[in-house]
Amino acid sequence: MANRTDPLAKSIRGTNPQNLVEKILRTKIYQNTYWKEQCFGLTAETLVDKAMELDHVGGTHGGNRKPTPFMCLVMKMLQIQPDKEIVVEFIKNPEYKYVRILGAFYLRLTGTDVDVYRYLEPLYNDYRKLRFKSNDGKFTLTHVDEFIDELLTKDYSCDIALPRIKKRWTLEAIGSLELRRSALEDDFEEEEEKDEDDQLVDGLDSGDNDKDYYRARSPTREKDRDRKRDGHRYRDRDYDRDRDYDRDRDYDRDYDRDRDRERDREGRERDRRDRDRGRRRSHSRSRSRSRDRKDRDGDDRRRRHRASSSPKRPEDRDEQPKKKKEKKAKKDDGTDHPDPEIAEQNRIRASLGLKPLKL
Amino acid sequence: MKLSSVGCVYLGFTGACEKKKEEEKRVKMIEVVLNDRLGKKVRVKCNDDDTIGDLKKLVAAQTGTRADKIRIQKWYTIYKDHITLKDYEIHDGMGLELYYN
Repeated sequence: MANRTDPLAKSIRGTNPQNLVEKILRTKIYQNTYWKEQCFGLTAETLVDKAMELDHVGGTHGGNRKPTPFMCLVMKMLQIQPDKEIVVEFIKNPEYKYVRILGAFYLRLTGTDVDVYRYLEPLYNDYRKLRFKSNDGKFTLTHVDEFIDELLTKDYSCDIALPRIKKRWTLEAIGSLELRRSALEDDFEEEEEKDEDDQLVDGLDSGDNDKDYYRARSPTREKDRDRKRDGHRYRDRDYDRDRDYDRDRDYDRDYDRDRDRERDREGRERDRRDRDRGRRRSHSRSRSRSRDRKDRDGDDRRRRHRASSSPKRPEDRDEQPKKKKEKKAKKDDGTDHPDPEIAEQNRIRASLGLKPLKL
Repeated sequence: MKLSSVGCVYLGFTGACEKKKEEEKRVKMIEVVLNDRLGKKVRVKCNDDDTIGDLKKLVAAQTGTRADKIRIQKWYTIYKDHITLKDYEIHDGMGLELYYN
């Protein structure tokens, strides 16, 4: 009787509003003493009085997961379903921060996407401290804007799975919302102007930085990831090219010994063509030739390499096997085990941040 | 003679004690079975110096529930998150009860 939803209440997201809270947690709230004593027969007005008495926020705590009074009041609001004006009043009131948080939480659960962003984003400017009761029963410190950020970005808070809302940039793209204006925007603009002046002096191009910042927000983030992944591959290709390039350079030197560096750079095109042609012809012939050349013109080669800024070849060769060895050693610590079951377990453990299994 | 033989036995005894202590200090891999009596039975391999919280994370990875929704019990004793399996004397092959919060 006392636990039935108000028959005049609308269904939220296609279901009884109380079903937004999971079955186990719901049962726990119904059996809670605070619910039975204080939350019986509450109306919207009397609920405000109870909300003003709140002094901490939290989900469930302890071994048997006892719900907090905050949870019970959220449940009560879901049960009686107050009007939107009342909820907005809860959020707008400046004195009682826990009433504000209660209203914000309820709106996050029941409101539409646009409403959620519109009414919760002004709360980012509220820096007051909150007492948060964690799962093990200890109180931790958090702030109103941190909590609101959690509500807007994460999909789980206070042991309740928050309903999915559209991302902000989706709503902006549709046109339902305007771009977010931060309260610190004036300060940002000043800083940007200062940075621009510095850039003109230094001559650095920080346009890339801005680009990266926006890129991080946009859906093209995956392109970024791929690019980073392939950067490794390009390095290897350069290494191969350097090796062949040198061989061909020796081959061509036969024709023209007085080649200066500029022409070398232009001649790279020709070398590439020759490389494609000459690679299949005979490796041994060019290799032996390069070996002879090493004896004869070793100084010349070394001088040329030293002048260039790219990594020198003997070092380059040493780096590659060293890197391979490090990679192998890392795998041995975790997931490179002949038994597939143990390797799989070690992989899961590594992803959770635990040490590998001791065998 | 007697004293030396007693001495020998004593030394042998302490040697065995030290060996046992070393054995106890070493970290072992154990396999624990968790059953929720509703059809979910999970076998998890873990070290015995893992905490119950770590074990819950491993179970969550295997079953798909959230780690903080899982409760591990043994007949009304709810196991706490910060205590290791070794301290709870959970041995290899032992069965634990899986409940949800």
